[in-house]
Amino acid sequence: MTKTILVVDDSISIRQVVGMTLKGAGFHVLEAVDGKDALSKCTGDKIHLVISDVNMPNMDGITFVTELKKLAAYRFTPVIMLTTEGAEEKKQAGKAAGAKAWVVKPFKPDQMLDAVNKLILP
Amino acid sequence: MDMEQAKQLFIDEARELLESMEQCLLEVESGEVSIGDHIDAVFRAAHTIKGSAGLFGFDDIVAFTHNVETVLDKVRDHKLDLTPDLLSLLLDCQSHMGQLVQAVVDTQAEVDKETGSALLQQLLAFLQGGTAVVVQPSTEPTASSLPGLWRLKVNYGADVFKDGMDPSSQLMYLQKLGQVAAIQLRADFPSEGFDPENCYLEMDLQLQSAASKQELEDVFEFIQDSSEVVIQPPAEMKDKLQQLPVVDQPIGQVLLDAGAVTEKELEKALQSQTRDIRQDKATVAVGQMLVQQGSLDAGLLDAALNKQKNTDHKRPAELQFLKVEARKLDQLINLIGELVTAGAANQLLVQAQEDEKMTESFGVMTALIEQIRDGTLGLRMVQIGDSFSRLKRVVRDVSKELGKEIHLEIQGAETELDKSMVEKLSDPLMHIVRNALDHGIENKEMRLYKGKPAQGLLRLNAYHEAGAVVLEIQDDGQGLDAAKLRQKAIEKGLISAEQQLSEEDCFKLIFAAGFSTASAVTNLSGRGVGMDVVKRNLEELRGQIFIESELGKGTLFRIRLPLTLAIIDGFEVSVTDTHFVVPLNMVQECIEFSAEDQAGQAEKRDYFNLRGEVLPFVRLSELFRLQSSETALRENIVVVQYGTQRAGLIVDALHGELQAVIKPLHAVVKSAKGLSGSTILGSGDVGFILDVPQLIDFAIQNESCVAS
Repeated sequence: MTKTILVVDDSISIRQVVGMTLKGAGFHVLEAVDGKDALSKCTGDKIHLVISDVNMPNMDGITFVTELKKLAAYRFTPVIMLTTEGAEEKKQAGKAAGAKAWVVKPFKPDQMLDAVNKLILP
Repeated sequence: MDMEQAKQLFIDEARELLESMEQCLLEVESGEVSIGDHIDAVFRAAHTIKGSAGLFGFDDIVAFTHNVETVLDKVRDHKLDLTPDLLSLLLDCQSHMGQLVQAVVDTQAEVDKETGSALLQQLLAFLQGGTAVVVQPSTEPTASSLPGLWRLKVNYGADVFKDGMDPSSQLMYLQKLGQVAAIQLRADFPSEGFDPENCYLEMDLQLQSAASKQELEDVFEFIQDSSEVVIQPPAEMKDKLQQLPVVDQPIGQVLLDAGAVTEKELEKALQSQTRDIRQDKATVAVGQMLVQQGSLDAGLLDAALNKQKNTDHKRPAELQFLKVEARKLDQLINLIGELVTAGAANQLLVQAQEDEKMTESFGVMTALIEQIRDGTLGLRMVQIGDSFSRLKRVVRDVSKELGKEIHLEIQGAETELDKSMVEKLSDPLMHIVRNALDHGIENKEMRLYKGKPAQGLLRLNAYHEAGAVVLEIQDDGQGLDAAKLRQKAIEKGLISAEQQLSEEDCFKLIFAAGFSTASAVTNLSGRGVGMDVVKRNLEELRGQIFIESELGKGTLFRIRLPLTLAIIDGFEVSVTDTHFVVPLNMVQECIEFSAEDQAGQAEKRDYFNLRGEVLPFVRLSELFRLQSSETALRENIVVVQYGTQRAGLIVDALHGELQAVIKPLHAVVKSAKGLSGSTILGSGDVGFILDVPQLIDFAIQNESCVAS
């Protein structure tokens, strides 16, 4: 069964590249432009992995993850945070919210795929 | 060579081998060295003992050692893992072998047969069951061309599943980096309070991979916060390390560059090091910390340390030894003594000749004689390290018995001192160490309560200082309580309640006969041998012992010993035509004993007013019944001190310092009190070496006799 990954980022280029990479690796990809948009897509259907940016309009990534973890269906869903080099505080905040994995921006598609592979099987 | 002699050789050899076996095993146990470095030596020891015991028909030794050897063989071939249990068992076996060998020497010696068969059972258990756990390398022996075998241990945190982590995906990912050779998954479910959402998994994994340690570590990066991941580099890493150039860098950097540790591991080690209150030398601690963390094994650390420039971690260079019969050596030393004496006699003659050329040539010869003397005396010198190593075992056994964790630190193991002294030192040293472990270092709970590190520290140190050897035994335990010692001494009637004592004097009370501070006598230090015996033993070696102690912080025993027992620096005096030598380190001052002083002697008091202080004295002429010459109008007092006691010796003439080659007293005068030996003076006369402590006692007793 194809696994579903939700990609949350306000940058369309990032969504594009990540989306293409993941699709190429055989995943089903959902996209959202910010935390609020993302939450609206978490309707109870199985999502195997969430990849989320931190800085986003409307609802930032950390709030989003915090909210997501409150939903019974997504309590155990792994989350990869997209952090910026040196933003250690954000990383810690993300971890506290429940996003235990991260990829540092800027990243290459392969790096993203590596991180995903450490978390879920294709 | 008859059979007895050969047997003696076997015993000496076996003891030596057992000692080296013990040392190797202890080093491995302490984590200093990996078993890989020592297994050959340990195996060889057992093998040789078995072989030679067979020659003599010591079947007990052969039968027992055979099993030890078999186990060691398996360890050597990596068919058996050297677990701490096995290591401990091997040490016990080593002790038992020592007993068996002892039984050959002394037919009375008890061999604990029960222990023997119990040990045998345990050995056999290892032989049969031990291999099950270990995964045989699945590939051909040409493994060296294959990528190295990494050992990974992952102890998954309870939250792993809740965090959305999936161990199986990490394993899948690992397969991208290499070939999984063996995997063992355990679940450690709690007996109660089981939470189905928690992760209870532990994983041992062997991975054949050419990947770097960093890459492997990264696989687990997302669970690193919640779980424990230990990655041990393959053995091949050592070869790689050995090919690296020698560099002048911190050990952490060396290991990092070699890829043996990752930055994260190093950081973790450095952090726990900073946390550690004890400030050891940074390089040692970081390396060992990494070993403790399991990030690398001790063998690798060793290899890396060797790549460090100016390293002071190198193990003492292998020394080549030549076995010489002790009798031959003693003979040589005796002859050198004669040579020194003959040289002194010749010097008198040469001086009388006043021939410049002769004086000059004789000067050269004297210098050579001195060198030969020093060299020969040096032959008897051995490194204190062996004695210290023997204490390692004591510390290990005692700390196990008392349930205390104790770290033994040894410094100055290469310091040399006279062989005969080393032998006589081992008992007092062991006693002091046992006392320190038993009474000095507190138990773990108490230490933690006092805010000390749980692990107690015992430091042994040796160094040379101004013609003497100094040994220090220091612990970081509770220290001596001067007031308590004093109180106890008063209770025991050793001192009177009014007596004023300095702190140091209070400490010295522990050396008084019949004094024991431990309210509860454990079977360790309360063996009836008190510290008074320690002191006496040291005095026999002409040594002194000092105590420094701070309540709550620890105690330091400092022992000062003369470098050698064969030659001393002395001070020559004479009474009529009899010459005496006083050991120079006990001479305090010399004063003229004038006619007026003698006049005051009308009442035959045997003490003297030394600047307002009462100084008891003995008149050597009276003590040794020498005809006091009428002509000696002037007499002299030599003030001697031993410990805190002082006395005066009244002599006719003072002759100055000399080097005295000590000769035993002839049987006829052996029982004479106040003499400890004899020497031949430059003039060819015999000089008697005075036994100062005995003379002081004599003077003090005499004084109190007269007073009462």
